[in-house]
Amino acid sequence: MDDPLQDLEAELRLLRPRTLSAGLLARVEEELTGLEAARAAHTVRRWQFPLAGAPRWLIWPVATALVAVCGIAIAYWWWPAIPSRSPALSAQVSAPAEPASAFFKPVAATQFLYESLDEGPVMLSSGLPARCVCDRYVDTYTWRNPRTRASVQWTIPRAEVRVVPVDAL
Amino acid sequence: MEDPANHDSWRQWFHQHGPRLLLCARLWTRSVADAEDVVQEAFVRFWRHQRQLGGEPQALLITSIRRVAVDLGRREDRRAAREQQAEEVSGRMEPLFETPVEDRERVLLVEAALRGLPPEQREVLVLKIWGELTFEQIAGQLAVSPNTAASRYRYALAALRRDLTPICHG
Repeated sequence: MDDPLQDLEAELRLLRPRTLSAGLLARVEEELTGLEAARAAHTVRRWQFPLAGAPRWLIWPVATALVAVCGIAIAYWWWPAIPSRSPALSAQVSAPAEPASAFFKPVAATQFLYESLDEGPVMLSSGLPARCVCDRYVDTYTWRNPRTRASVQWTIPRAEVRVVPVDAL
Repeated sequence: MEDPANHDSWRQWFHQHGPRLLLCARLWTRSVADAEDVVQEAFVRFWRHQRQLGGEPQALLITSIRRVAVDLGRREDRRAAREQQAEEVSGRMEPLFETPVEDRERVLLVEAALRGLPPEQREVLVLKIWGELTFEQIAGQLAVSPNTAASRYRYALAALRRDLTPICHG
C-alpha cells in the first residue's frame, strides 16, 4: 500500500466511533445486572433436563424408565383399596392381586415445543462456525386404567441444545 | 484484544468496545435505534452464553451482531415503505464519530466520504479499521474471499483519498 493510503488509514484509525447512548447502557445494565442478581439469589433461570449432557441415545430409555417407575409408584399410591369382603370370600380369593401397573396402560405421549431460542454463533473445536439453538419442550405422558377410567398424567419440561453448522441454516 | 471473559464486570469492556460494535451494527441497520437494539441483543447473549467459549470475542460479537441485524432486517421488511424511508433518513443524519471541536470539519468530511462509498466497500473498511478484524475474518463474515475483502478495502481507501484530497487547479 502506498504512503498516502497508509496516512489515510492512520487518520481513520484515530477517529473515535460515537459513544454509546445512556439509554443503551441502561438497557444492557438492566438485563445483565438482573441476571447477576438472580444468580446471587441462587435463582435458577434456565432449567435443563438432568440428562442434557448425557449421550443422546441414553436419554429416551432413561426417561421412559423413570416415567414407568413413577407411574407404578403413583398407581400404587392412588389405587383405590379393594372393598373388603367377607372373611370366607377373602379366604376363597387367595390368589395374589395383580400389581397396579397391570391396570394402568400408557395411552398418550405428547411433545410440545414451546420455545426455540437461537443463542447465536459458536466456534466448534474444528474452527468451523456453528449456531447454538436451544429448543424447549414440555413432554406429557398419560396412563389410564381401562377398568376404572382413572388416568395419571406427567408433564416434564425438557431442554434440547443443538449445535447446527452455519452452512446448514 | 482484551479478553472479556477475564472481567468480572461487563461494564469496562462494553464501554471500551461498545462504540466500535455500534458502528459495525450501523452498517447493517436502518437507524441508530435499530443498531442499538442489535448491539444490546448480541452483547447480552454473548455475555450470558458465549464469553466462556474462547476465540476472538470481537469477531464473535460482530458475527452475532450481523446475524441479529439480518434477522431484524427481515422482520423490518414487513413495515410500510414510508416508515422505512423515514428511518433511513434519520439514520443517515446521526453522526458516526465523535466530533472534537478542533477537527470537526475534517471529521464531518471523512464521515460524508465514508457514507458515499459503495456499501460493500464501506462494510469492509469499517470492519477492518474499527471492527479490528483481519481480512480472513472479514471474508468469513461476508462470504467472500480474503483477496476480495482486501481489494475492496484498497478501493475504499483510494476512493476516500480522492474525495478528501482538495483539487488543486493550476
